[in-house]
Amino acid sequence: MAIEIPNAAYSGKIKEVPLGQEGKTITFGGETCYPFHLFEGAMPHPPKIAMEVYDRAPEEWPDTVMEPFADVAGDPVAWANKCIDSYGAEMIMLQLASIDPNAQNTSADEAAAIAKKVSDAVDVPLIVWGCTNVDKDTEVLKAVCEACEGKNVIIGPVQEGNYRAIGATAIGYKHTVVASTPIDINLAKQLNILLGNLNVPDDKLLIDPTTGALGYGLEYCYSVMERIRMAALTQEDERLQFPILANFAKEVWKTKEVKLSSAEAPLLGDQKKRGILMEAMTAQCVLLAGADILVMRHPEAISLVKEAIKDLMTTEEG
Amino acid sequence: MSKIICSAAIRGAHKIVGIAEAKQAEALKKWGPDQEIGFPNTTYYLPIIYGILGIPVKTLADARVILDKCNELLPPLVSDNVWLPYLAPALDAGMATFFAEEIIEAIRYLEEPGCYTEEEDPTADNIWLGAADDVIMRKRGVEFVDGSAPGFAAILGAAPSPEIAAKIAIELQEKNLYVFMVSDHDGKNMSEQLLSVDVQVGWPTRLVSFGPSYTAAVFAMGFATRVAMSFGGVKPGAFRENLMYNKERVFAFAMPLGTVTDEWYANAAGAINWGFPTIADTPIPEVLPTGICTYEHVVSNIPHDEIVAKAIEVRGLKVTVSKVDIPMSYGPAFEGERIRKDDLFFECGGGRTLGVELTVSKDMSEVEDGHIEMLGPDLDQVKEGDKLPFGMIIEVAGRQMQPDFEPILERQIHHLVNYVQGIMHIGQRNIMWIRVGKAAVEKGFLLKHIGKVMHAKYHQEFGNIVDKVQVKIYTEEEKVKEVMALAKDVYSKRDKRVEGMTDETEETFYSCTLCQSFAPAHVCVITPERAGMCGAYNWLDCKASNEINPTGPNQPLEKGTCLDPVKGQWKGIDDFIFKASRQNVEHVCAYSLMNFPMTACGCFEAIATILPLCNGIMVVNRDYRGMTPSGMKFTTMAGMVGGGNQTPGFLGVSKHYMGSKKFFKAEGGLKRIVWLPKMLKEEIAEHVKPICEEMGMPDFFDMVADETVGETEEEVFAFLEAKGHPAFTMDPLM
Ligand code: SF4
Repeated sequence: MAIEIPNAAYSGKIKEVPLGQEGKTITFGGETCYPFHLFEGAMPHPPKIAMEVYDRAPEEWPDTVMEPFADVAGDPVAWANKCIDSYGAEMIMLQLASIDPNAQNTSADEAAAIAKKVSDAVDVPLIVWGCTNVDKDTEVLKAVCEACEGKNVIIGPVQEGNYRAIGATAIGYKHTVVASTPIDINLAKQLNILLGNLNVPDDKLLIDPTTGALGYGLEYCYSVMERIRMAALTQEDERLQFPILANFAKEVWKTKEVKLSSAEAPLLGDQKKRGILMEAMTAQCVLLAGADILVMRHPEAISLVKEAIKDLMTTEEG
Repeated sequence: MSKIICSAAIRGAHKIVGIAEAKQAEALKKWGPDQEIGFPNTTYYLPIIYGILGIPVKTLADARVILDKCNELLPPLVSDNVWLPYLAPALDAGMATFFAEEIIEAIRYLEEPGCYTEEEDPTADNIWLGAADDVIMRKRGVEFVDGSAPGFAAILGAAPSPEIAAKIAIELQEKNLYVFMVSDHDGKNMSEQLLSVDVQVGWPTRLVSFGPSYTAAVFAMGFATRVAMSFGGVKPGAFRENLMYNKERVFAFAMPLGTVTDEWYANAAGAINWGFPTIADTPIPEVLPTGICTYEHVVSNIPHDEIVAKAIEVRGLKVTVSKVDIPMSYGPAFEGERIRKDDLFFECGGGRTLGVELTVSKDMSEVEDGHIEMLGPDLDQVKEGDKLPFGMIIEVAGRQMQPDFEPILERQIHHLVNYVQGIMHIGQRNIMWIRVGKAAVEKGFLLKHIGKVMHAKYHQEFGNIVDKVQVKIYTEEEKVKEVMALAKDVYSKRDKRVEGMTDETEETFYSCTLCQSFAPAHVCVITPERAGMCGAYNWLDCKASNEINPTGPNQPLEKGTCLDPVKGQWKGIDDFIFKASRQNVEHVCAYSLMNFPMTACGCFEAIATILPLCNGIMVVNRDYRGMTPSGMKFTTMAGMVGGGNQTPGFLGVSKHYMGSKKFFKAEGGLKRIVWLPKMLKEEIAEHVKPICEEMGMPDFFDMVADETVGETEEEVFAFLEAKGHPAFTMDPLM
């Protein structure tokens, strides 16, 4: 007797969102099945990895992850170019960490100028990320929208407290926004509704449901992400049918486990390998939960995950 | 629409289109058809024409095409014997007016270079700025969308004096509105009036001197039209979307100061298309019924000191209060603070003195927003250890306010007052109790500040339903007694209203999906007689929450045909649940434990389950940690009910539901209850008393077993048998 494999009944589809400048866009989304359930539906646009670039030379990174970027830290354009040329980055995320009022509190104009320089220098889709301080992000990201006009930059995090200002400005300059909410499907849906009411077009919206690091609440983030996909694909939850961005490199590389040296924690094994695996494992989990864009840092972790995506995308037919 | 207004607007439109015709013809002769015309530095051409018709006017020849459209739109002049009482012709006339005015202004740019400064500020010899270019529009227009500037007042004419002009301007600035100034009245205009009393005019101060003629009104309307295209993603020519976008998002209105001429009427009629009403200081006829605009269309004869407040009300603009203005820190961190005897400076209520607090809704005209009245001594007039009676009435008004929301707002007083550092608030209604610590008094805290807190917080948290808030605080015995009498009257009316609301009388129930974050398939269906299982959301709360946050977790459900009145099953609810549970749950019976019970999330106040031997139901609350006769503790049972599954025989319930007439109606109601923890029994005794009486068993609770009787089903059985518990004679549960 032939065994019949039960198939999930899907009724929805993730919206297709083209990212990047005109003529060079990469499309995301379009899934009609759960992640990598290629026997049940299609994943026309496999997940991609965005490499992090910081606006200032980072101070608290462990050497194990600083090392590949030591020669370009402090020069975001060179850094971005290195990611693309040496590590084959498919996307760049410019982290404007220095705008944080608790850090260097860089001004909006200065930050916008950096964003503009990077956006002029790269051809791959560019994500520009704020510091999550609602007021400061509003000021800075509005300026970034203006400076990067015509580049279809991906702007985030857009939160409930600033979605109107940033959302409307992004519409005005035709950028894409990332709706960011704190690990809660209801809040995620609500912010998407609000952005829709603001007239943000469906092909200019991504979801950031917040991702923690492995061992630091990842299971909770995983569930929420999984839930969002389930609601989108089987519950016809139209306002959740958007590609998901998982921004976890920052989280992984600040954990104790990646910072302790091999000498300090011999039982945890080699420090470098440990960090790379922490990042790769976190990535692997969110891939399975439904993430479309993974924001990552270490080149070796990235190549591991790229391999994994390739394997998972392989069907019997080849 | 009033016939007078309508005929005047149409007359005005005819005149204006006539002028545009003449100007265009003249310019055509001089410059030829290919001569380019337009406003400076914009990609939106003549923006109203581009936004509404989708036609880019680039040359004088293009203008001709538009003038033909104007003539098509223009309704015939209203004669004494022919009268169509419709708004539509006047609206069309208004639209034609704007098209014609844009052409007039475009030709002015051509014929009189330098007529406008084309900058953000007036120059030494020219105060008129003219159309905003795209840079200004992008920079300023986004403020309309993000709420930092809710909209604009288009002022035509001039105030009776420069001082009044300045006062109106400042009031509008305080509301963060832009002021767009055009036209004159008796040779005077508002822009010059402001400059004459040293008020700075220009985009940076939001007081924008557009132009000396009424035709400059198109700079204001064109600005709004471009905002919709730029920030609303509205396509050129999508006129309906553009007008709706403005109606819903740009809080603008026209404010003619001085005699309203035919031309002004024509412009006002045009603005109504965008949902912008007119608020006039002269006694012109009013157009009150709502329809195109959110509320009234034309309101007139408003005194100058009230005109801004009136405009804001008519346009439906929400007041935002960003800060709680008191000398103390304010925030959730201070909620749990206690004021102990040694720190105590003053107290009121709490059985020590008369104390009462009340929130009531009033008519818009009866409430002056921000007004705080204090009668009787305040804290600066008492000494340490004093006590005073205390009465507070918060009066709110709002276009969306309903008396049903009063108790919900009132319930917030407790935590909102508690957020003040150094103040403790306990209880509610006429059992409220306030303690003020010494430290607070040292910092200058007054009872009056409680009024400020309530004003600010009601606006911040309930802005969708509350437009105006005023607070009256009394510490005089006589006054407090008056408030107490009023409050008791209000409370009893409210309680009756809630009692009167049944699942039969209301057509709409509410969903609550707040818990879906951890119980994906779970939905609470909340009916007037069955509160959410967490006990935190009853039907009225959901109704208000939906009004305050229409996209939130509480959505209205049409209950539809009743399929089973005893089990509590409705067609509409079944359909909804099927979809909301991802097809996992097909039916739900609101009043049953055994048949399609509601799913449960995890945050229920109590769990009900059956005791088969006793043919009855037991309920155990979360706080009870002991063993129950079911052989399981609360925690074990919680594991079986939660997660959004339907588990016949197990159900999460709120304590409140136990006092409802619909409590397990399908299984025979309260009579089925055979075991409760003692603490729960005591807690709900008062609440279920009426039901017991109705059952004809006022002492029913004495027959219900608790842990003192036993923790095994056998012990409970023996007790029930001895007491003659009614469950024994009821239909078998399974
Ligand atoms: S338990 Fe309470 S909060 Fe949770 S879904 Fe039900 S009513 Fe809403």
